Amino acid sequence: MSKKKAVMTSGGVEVRQKPLKLRIWNNRGYYLMFLPVALFVIILYYWPMLGVRYAFYDYKPIGQPTFVGWANFEKMFGANKQAFLTSFFNTLELSIVRLLITNLSAIIVSIFLNEMGNLFAKKTLQTIIYLPHFMSWAVVASIFSLFLSPSSTGMVNGLLRDLGILGEADKNIYFLAESSWWRPIFYLINIWKETGWGTIIFLATLSGINPELYEAADIDGATRMQKIFYVTLPALGNTIITVLILNLAKVLNMFEPVFVLYNNAVYDVADVISTYTYRQTFAIALPNYGYSTAVGLFRSLVACVLMLLSNWASKKVRGRGII
Amino acid sequence: MKKKALSLLLSSAMVVSLAACGSSDSSTSTTTDSSAKTEASTETKTDAAAETSSYELTELNMVVNGTLTATVDNGQAEFEKQWEDAVSEKLGHSIDLKIQQLDHSGYIDAVGRLFAGGDYPDVMIMSAEQFKQYAPTGLLWDMADAYANADFQSRITLPAINENLKDSEGHLYGFAPTYGNGCVTYIKKAWLDALGINADDIKTYDDYLNMLVRFHEEDPDGNGVAGDTYGVVAAGFLGNEAPYINYLPEFWQDAYPALVQDDNGTWIDGFQTDATKAALLRLQDAYNKGAIDPESLTASTKIAREKWFSNDQTGSSGVFTYWAGSWYQTLTDNLIKNEVNEELVMLEPIAEVGAYLNREAPVWVIIDDGDGDNAREQAIFDAFIETMMDGDVVQTLWTYGAEDVHWSTKAETFTINAGTDKEKTYEYADGEFHLKQSPNDPNSVWKKNHLDPALVISPLTNGFVDESDLAAAGNKFFTENCVDAPASPTSETYTNESGTIYDAKMAVVTEVVTKNGDVDAAMQTYVDTVGGIIDQCLAELNQ
Amino acid sequence: MEGRKKKLHVFDVVNYIVFILIGLIILVPMWKVLVDSLNKVGVYQFQLWPSQFTLDGYRTIIETQALYRPFINSVITTVLGTLLGLVLCTLGGYVLVQFDMPGRNLFSYFLLITMVFTGGMIPEYLVMKKLGLVNNMWILVVKHGMNVYNLVLMRNFFEGIPSSLYEAAKIDGCSPMGIFFKIVLPLSKAALASIGLMFAVTVWNDYTTVKIYITDPDQTNFQYKLRNMIMDGDTPTTAYAVSQNTLFNAGIISAILPFMLLYPFLQKYFVKGVNIGAVKE
Repeated sequence: MSKKKAVMTSGGVEVRQKPLKLRIWNNRGYYLMFLPVALFVIILYYWPMLGVRYAFYDYKPIGQPTFVGWANFEKMFGANKQAFLTSFFNTLELSIVRLLITNLSAIIVSIFLNEMGNLFAKKTLQTIIYLPHFMSWAVVASIFSLFLSPSSTGMVNGLLRDLGILGEADKNIYFLAESSWWRPIFYLINIWKETGWGTIIFLATLSGINPELYEAADIDGATRMQKIFYVTLPALGNTIITVLILNLAKVLNMFEPVFVLYNNAVYDVADVISTYTYRQTFAIALPNYGYSTAVGLFRSLVACVLMLLSNWASKKVRGRGII
Repeated sequence: MKKKALSLLLSSAMVVSLAACGSSDSSTSTTTDSSAKTEASTETKTDAAAETSSYELTELNMVVNGTLTATVDNGQAEFEKQWEDAVSEKLGHSIDLKIQQLDHSGYIDAVGRLFAGGDYPDVMIMSAEQFKQYAPTGLLWDMADAYANADFQSRITLPAINENLKDSEGHLYGFAPTYGNGCVTYIKKAWLDALGINADDIKTYDDYLNMLVRFHEEDPDGNGVAGDTYGVVAAGFLGNEAPYINYLPEFWQDAYPALVQDDNGTWIDGFQTDATKAALLRLQDAYNKGAIDPESLTASTKIAREKWFSNDQTGSSGVFTYWAGSWYQTLTDNLIKNEVNEELVMLEPIAEVGAYLNREAPVWVIIDDGDGDNAREQAIFDAFIETMMDGDVVQTLWTYGAEDVHWSTKAETFTINAGTDKEKTYEYADGEFHLKQSPNDPNSVWKKNHLDPALVISPLTNGFVDESDLAAAGNKFFTENCVDAPASPTSETYTNESGTIYDAKMAVVTEVVTKNGDVDAAMQTYVDTVGGIIDQCLAELNQ
Repeated sequence: MEGRKKKLHVFDVVNYIVFILIGLIILVPMWKVLVDSLNKVGVYQFQLWPSQFTLDGYRTIIETQALYRPFINSVITTVLGTLLGLVLCTLGGYVLVQFDMPGRNLFSYFLLITMVFTGGMIPEYLVMKKLGLVNNMWILVVKHGMNVYNLVLMRNFFEGIPSSLYEAAKIDGCSPMGIFFKIVLPLSKAALASIGLMFAVTVWNDYTTVKIYITDPDQTNFQYKLRNMIMDGDTPTTAYAVSQNTLFNAGIISAILPFMLLYPFLQKYFVKGVNIGAVKE
């Protein structure tokens, strides 16, 4: 009944403004629905965001913050340039490669899992591949440290020795403390832990594909692989791009997976911005929170650029952004 | 209609919850502040008579780390209650103790957050390094006078510790109830016996290294496989705590890889010395020979410890340098539990080491509310520190814990490790002071609460003594073989840059030790990276 | 005809073999944890079966009363956190697919910005303190209740629902809320199940938030207490009759057990998922 009233009041009076006003009025229910979301976002995200001003302050646990202008940024690109830039480029490479390969493996696994006819096998496998995600990173790190240990108890090294890949004279490989090994191991552990979980979204999308499309392909005489390429993959396209771009915004925050697996022998390939900030802030009795905020702000800006770029690319390629 | 009702419900729920949050917040913050601030205003008038002005402390907020062994799972409630009863009686009015025990790991970090959030406790514990950085900030109350006039002065047997804590102007911002303790080197007796080595013959670094190498190359654990064991295991080659916590002293020897004063009192960087270079080369050599468990680079103290007393002794080591005193007992207990031969030998410091390092002690500090009046702070001192050292009831609480929970004087018989061949029965007559079984661990006897009776600066006067033989032996051994660690530096640049400096040091250590890098080149990189910062620190320290 | 059938066959065989391998790779580390949790002695090597079978690791955890309260806290916060999360992300996601709604783009960016910019840990801590959420387990509900990433995922699922359905409902006189409850939600069971599980896992597994915000032992969650007490206690203890290693592994299994049990009930939504497919096009 209220709807009718709206049409009547705004309908007769002013014709020019009618579309917008009317549209707003017609959507009033939606605005109301958005209200709780907006409130939560403002309180939980925007309110703390006011803290970015500390990037320009010397801010210690005690005493008043003092304005220092660009000093924190000068430290970042001056005295601490080398360590900061190393961590910055490591963040970009580690997080983007990790994002691509875990999603690639998740996509492949989803597609082939989707092809599996036997429902029992499918369910069992799904359960198994999800399991690692339920474990915390700290636990995963402790398990793999044990497997990859360079001491005589390390199972992987023992296996390599049994297979003759490591000879008598060779030392055990210190997988987690050698720069050349750390990254491949890091990626593998990530694939191990997150592939199964990554399939959730893709499988949910696949389950939504209209079966008629497959039937039509069958009639055309398409093979299994052809169906995967011409029906399944295009259907996934939207989800893949959304997931990739959305994650791109978050990738620079990567902390825990690196933190539990890295050590000071591999800073050159493993140190990321958040672990760098962690060492600069949390191991120190009187840390300057301003400096870590400045580093965080810089990271946010880069993430913002990354996301806008990918959104722009998405618009170019697909004609639409992610949201 | 339905939608409206629902969204109204949603939004009103939001408003209510927000209002609730806001009000509860303001109420809590006022309560924490009020105790300090309201009294301050009434007190400022009688400024001159500050020491004698009566301030009635009714609530005491304390922040502590894991060194309070009476944790919530281990009888803390009883400890708290007995403390309140005893101190209320002493003060003549009731006092409410509020204990906030923070995670031991990450304590420094958590304290920073508390402060940033405006939560200041009345008293708290700080590690020596943390204390050094907070001391010059004005946050901590100068208790020099209170300390000088304290009742326990007459009973102090180890005065040097707190005298050394005073700064050049005589301010005393923290109080150390015990001396620091340190690490000694433990060797598994069974391993020595298996290879026919006598610990008394280990006199020099060469003897020591030779023993480690034999532990690796031969079969000391007797499992029939040579080469699957190691000499020594440690949590890192260079501690991430202050260098006086040194898990590999035999390798570092005379090197002290931190800012330190030389014989003339001038501050120098102990890391950029030939002694440090030599130490790095010794570590490199030993690492290559398999004398050091390769996992030492990434092992945490917990992992190193677990590996050492694991019941799967493959990959374990014969030697472990760890805390002296009650840890001697703890290590032994864990070896017993894991069915490993538990006999340990404490190694006399080898010639090159000379003595083990006694670290700077952790201290209790009182937070100054900054109102220029000492009444509140003095009241805290009287209620907390004075009683902690009363030599009697309260000191017993801090030393052994709560009566009839952690210790007792009633007749009692109990058995630990029942049903195993390590079964041991303790029998006590009425009136005999003794420690009970740990509240959360029926298989071990309670050891101590916060104060170690062997390390305390003024001993108990009530004659309560019950130290395990091993802990007593361990403490005796350590006191006979230790020297005080050099003082750590106080410099603003050092405070700000300690993270960067530590990273640079670790880069050198890993480059040389695990990657066989050239020590001079690595050291040059160190100088190139942080040389400027170090020079600035030294300039500040030496001015 | 003949050739095609054979090809299908080969594909399936290869597919199964590959998946058995994948399953094994994933299972080996998990199996080690499980076997070690049932083994009386700690061993470093991989064993197929426990050499000295014991259930004492699990018995110890079940009998440790200090874990009860954190466990209940975890259950409560996980359930409520998941519900709040689902409510907010379905509401938000639903609003964001109203393409004729003025300000829709603004709302999108309003949300997206939060994925990129954060105030940093200390400002967040101060805000939480102002909200009275420091030392309060409700922080686990509130902090995870709003998740923009999940909201956007939800939005994308909603987008897959043909707009003709909305139009039809609108013509029938359905209000936005009515459409939401009568049409959108029933069609999104698969999405609700998967995103709900994501929320649940996040809240249940949260250790860091507790470590940062909670010092009151009554307010901690299961993960935190389990890790602190049984898995990485600062002081080694001889308190438990089983080896530290057994207990550690039993702790890992106990922490993931709720999801291992819960998962089969949710799985039907993931596998079938005909809900969206039936209405499409």
